[in-house]
Amino acid sequence: MSGTADTLTPDRQRLELGALSAPAVLFTVGMIAFPLLYTIWLSFQSFSSTGRQSFAGLANYTRLVGDNEFWHGLWVTLALYVLSLVLQLVFGVWLALVLFHAKRLPGVVRSLFISPFMMPPVVAGMMWLVILDPSLGAANYILTSFGLPPSDWLASPSWVIPTVALIDTWQWTPYVALIVLGGLQSLPPSVYEAAQIDGASGFKTFQRITLPLLLPTIVTATILRSVDLLRFFDIIYITTQGGPGNASNTLNIYGFRVGFEFFNIGYASALMLTLTAIVFGVVLAFNRLRGAVAW
Amino acid sequence: MTGAPMDDNWIRRLNTLQLIVAGVIIMAPVVWMALSSFKPSFEVTAYPPTLLFSPTAENYAQLFKTTPFFSYGVNSLIVTLGSAGLGLLFGIPAAFAVSWTRISWPAILTLAARMAPGTLFLLPWYVMFRQVGMIGSYTALILSHAVITLPIVIWVLLPSFDNIPRSVFEAAQVDGCSVTRILWRIALPLVGSGIAVAAILAFVFSWNYFLFALVLSNGDSKTLIAAAFNFVGEGSTQWGVLMAAATLIALPPLVLAALVQRWLVSGLTLGAVKG
Repeated sequence: MSGTADTLTPDRQRLELGALSAPAVLFTVGMIAFPLLYTIWLSFQSFSSTGRQSFAGLANYTRLVGDNEFWHGLWVTLALYVLSLVLQLVFGVWLALVLFHAKRLPGVVRSLFISPFMMPPVVAGMMWLVILDPSLGAANYILTSFGLPPSDWLASPSWVIPTVALIDTWQWTPYVALIVLGGLQSLPPSVYEAAQIDGASGFKTFQRITLPLLLPTIVTATILRSVDLLRFFDIIYITTQGGPGNASNTLNIYGFRVGFEFFNIGYASALMLTLTAIVFGVVLAFNRLRGAVAW
Repeated sequence: MTGAPMDDNWIRRLNTLQLIVAGVIIMAPVVWMALSSFKPSFEVTAYPPTLLFSPTAENYAQLFKTTPFFSYGVNSLIVTLGSAGLGLLFGIPAAFAVSWTRISWPAILTLAARMAPGTLFLLPWYVMFRQVGMIGSYTALILSHAVITLPIVIWVLLPSFDNIPRSVFEAAQVDGCSVTRILWRIALPLVGSGIAVAAILAFVFSWNYFLFALVLSNGDSKTLIAAAFNFVGEGSTQWGVLMAAATLIALPPLVLAALVQRWLVSGLTLGAVKG
């Protein structure tokens, strides 16, 4: 039975476990880590119109600091981020409470509520493009039939950011709601019993007990949404491509266009590394906050 | 005390009302998209919009006649199934090893890919794939989409593997089972539903992913999502056809998600919430 003894040695076991995770690790290094280093190197290169590349030092980064389009893109990214996040958190917590008090959710209802974020964002964009058409869309018909002024929605430079935020809120509020619902269901019932004995009103119970206990879950939802919202791309690219003019030109859209429409790979790399640093910074900050509000 | 049950009733009704309002807001645009796809071409842009009409399949017929919609669909299927398969192939053993050893960095490494903007990887991939003439190949598309599927598979399966009692593995080890054998013979059959959820989520998010195919596919390998961009440009006057395309593209993920909705919640939050 010496063969059996062999298979049981810790060394052999460690080797096997390493071999099991090796394909995933090698794949990630090959597709992510190595390309990331390559992007860093590319960000120090300049590409001429004929495709010749040469070392550019920090030129791409100094250009970024003086580039109005970059600062505009940063502003658009942050405006869209804050607006969408606040809307999704507020409506998400509301929807979670409604779903929680509904107690039993039939499968059909649950499928219905997950369908917005299970459909491709690109399809959501196509769908809303037709609904929000300034002259023939159903949205303006509904507004005007209630006596409200119609809007140019995605075609208006001043309305395009709130409109895109609304589309994303339509798509992702149910997702936030499901996360918060998970948090609600894990709260111990005893905290409510105590509040009931003290005769606290429904709103007070929510404000003083439910909301503080839900904070870690809400921060989790915030992190998951932040990652997607800061690199907003699909819905904007399908509906406005950053327009009208440059009104919805987020950093991700701007970087994409610099790279793949103007083929300035070096400058696009510098832009994308900056955006990545912003995303990771926000995630780390909220991760700290999650530690602070944990109970 | 007599007022309490009535109050309860009112609260329940108010809650049901809010549930209906939320349901209508969520579903109305989707219903409108599907309805528009069945409207005759003169009616889809009618103003005021019409709710009652005689449905027609002409938009769908035209979609298949004027665009290579079917071959785009085949491309989407190849890329989606290929990348979901690759994600499962690499992700299942990795999730098992991470769960066994409690060494979590391989899982966190794949998650980093989920957090960075896709354009960050697309730039070097584009340069690299172009150098080896792989732009437009299924291989390039499948590899890039596997970056999306791998973290999904790993993070959905981690809690499933964690839930298996350690004593099960220890007993097998005493019987002389190797780690790999324990994975295939003992652990895998126990996490069947987890694998189903992982496979379906990997399929859905790979099918839905837009950015990579936009740059890495060409005329022959274009996926439905990448082609949707062209439909919008061409379909500005043909809303019926545009909505038919949108409906068909959204259908596979919606049907799959509905099949496993009960188990989706914890998977969707990458293990952040145990639903």
